[in-house]
Amino acid sequence: MKNKSECEDSLKVVGCAKGYSKDELITNLPRHSKFHLGLIKQIITIPEVSLRNSGTVMAKKIIRMMREVSTETYRAMQFTRTEINKYGVLYGIVLLKHHVMDNVLKYFHERWPQCIICLYNEHTQSTGIINEKGNIREVKLPLKETVKKLSKGRPIIPYFDDIQFSGEEIFESLYNSQNIVERENSRYFKSMIPDKCFNLPGMKNGVEKRYTSQNKKIDEFF
Amino acid sequence: MPSTLEKIRILGENSKYDICASTASSRTDKYPKLFGDSKDFIGNTASAGICHSYTPDGRCMSLFKTLYTNKCIYSCKYCFSHNCKKRLSFTPEEYARTFMKLYSMNVVEGVFISSGVCGSADDTTEDMLEAIRLLRFKYKFQGYVHFKALPGVSQSLLKEAITLSDRISINSEASTKEHLAEIAEQKDFYNDIVLRQRWLKQIRIRHNDEALKIMKDHRQDHELKFQEKMIKDRREDGYKKFRWDGAPILNSGQTTQFVIGAAEHETDWDLLKRIDNDYKMIDLRRAYFSSFIPIEGTPLSAKQAAPLEREHRLYQTDWLLRIYHYKLNDLKEVINEEGNLPRGDPKIHLAEDYFKDRGPVDPNTASYQDLIRVPGIGPISAKRIINLRAQKISFNRRQDLKSIGIILKRADPYLKINGNSQTTIQHFIN
Repeated sequence: MKNKSECEDSLKVVGCAKGYSKDELITNLPRHSKFHLGLIKQIITIPEVSLRNSGTVMAKKIIRMMREVSTETYRAMQFTRTEINKYGVLYGIVLLKHHVMDNVLKYFHERWPQCIICLYNEHTQSTGIINEKGNIREVKLPLKETVKKLSKGRPIIPYFDDIQFSGEEIFESLYNSQNIVERENSRYFKSMIPDKCFNLPGMKNGVEKRYTSQNKKIDEFF
Repeated sequence: MPSTLEKIRILGENSKYDICASTASSRTDKYPKLFGDSKDFIGNTASAGICHSYTPDGRCMSLFKTLYTNKCIYSCKYCFSHNCKKRLSFTPEEYARTFMKLYSMNVVEGVFISSGVCGSADDTTEDMLEAIRLLRFKYKFQGYVHFKALPGVSQSLLKEAITLSDRISINSEASTKEHLAEIAEQKDFYNDIVLRQRWLKQIRIRHNDEALKIMKDHRQDHELKFQEKMIKDRREDGYKKFRWDGAPILNSGQTTQFVIGAAEHETDWDLLKRIDNDYKMIDLRRAYFSSFIPIEGTPLSAKQAAPLEREHRLYQTDWLLRIYHYKLNDLKEVINEEGNLPRGDPKIHLAEDYFKDRGPVDPNTASYQDLIRVPGIGPISAKRIINLRAQKISFNRRQDLKSIGIILKRADPYLKINGNSQTTIQHFIN
């Protein structure tokens, strides 16, 4: 794109399709597992207009890294399955390669502000905890033990006590009931769900068995 | 006594043709919460919605979607009700508990409550409201609720449903009185459906006006004026501006659903006229289309299923009306003799027609109205072009357009840059 005006601020980009501002990059790029400080030094020297436009190798790399971080956060919000005990401790297991545990914990905290949230990260083998006040900690303890310790001394909350029954079968029934056979679109379905989520309640013994040899990824997974 | 599992299996199955694609709700922290500012609440809404699972047809399944009861006084010809062997109902407590369990598992994002009409519309709605009341006040659930209002329900119950829900819908099922009579003869199109939809609009406007007055007493800022403007603002064509209206209640507005292909002579043009009218008259947020699928044991079981492609074309055309601001009369150009949309993307058909005499347009000089007509350029990328031009930035290569999000594969035949046009082999042959 040719900028006709010499005095125009090249950093001011209106209506760019892709990319992130420098502030966004400096805040979120360190979350990526392959981040190094040299990257920030490079970003500072490159004009924002070049970083936003995916024409350069550097911009492509940065946009990819940012996308990986945001995708992992969003996937964790979508597909993390949790349980709650009668003391108001909500817990679940996640697999986070990037440093996005705080974002995922905050998402659950907003939903369950009076609960303590514990998420065990299989990748780092540690448990992220957020309390009612929004304070975050990470401990190197297994999930079961953490939940037990946190539940100690907390009062029983009646409406959490009310929902202490197994929900797996309920979800499986609901999930199976919603399928309209005439509308089946396996290609679209596959593209929407990460492989690891096929072993979640409601996802097994059903749809994926019908896939053909073309569906190599899912076959490999099983 | 049927178990909860059995109820979910049967009532979930009965509700599977109801469509609810979005869980997005524009509630923000800046404005009064639906049920006060208590820290005890559970759940919230996400502005873009979140999908927690997908059914094998690729549809997002993010809501606890079952009927409240499958007992029904109506006998619509397309409906499962004819072959339903087991009639079941949830109890309000059972419904609320089951949902809260699923919500705590993070497998659903909210509730979609619909029902058959058992006894009278008011009796069933009372029970459905009781279940939602339990969710809101006993379990303190503040997340997304989509309430399916029943045809013929009274105004006072609609008022309560509005204050408890993010979205309300009443199924139109068909585009006209005659077409509805063909598939659901017991329903009165104007009295049971259209009148209720108008009530919903009136109740919402009245509520939001009152809420704004209360908010004005507490706050005096620019955003409040903006919000007031957005609640009243309309487009030139009479459509409500919904980009963000900051409404304190019924944030996701009202929607409706049509069964496509069940009525014998109902055309796409009939449906488009109806939704155009609904966008203007009842502030419809969006319309859903559900292709007719014959169900064994119903009077229409021998009828052929409506092609899914027809549903897809209608969604594409609805998008042109709602998002691209095309006029209904513009669409008339591509409607065929039978009154239906042709095969293929309606925007491409319209572009072929529009650019036939005008020829390709230059993005450096074209107006917004022309740009929006080019396939591969949407409202956002058209605005980007206009913004960049205002900054005296010109487009000299196709790559410049690609970098701001234009899909060149689709746009090329209708664009020229510096007098040069990139056409396809097909165009060369023609």
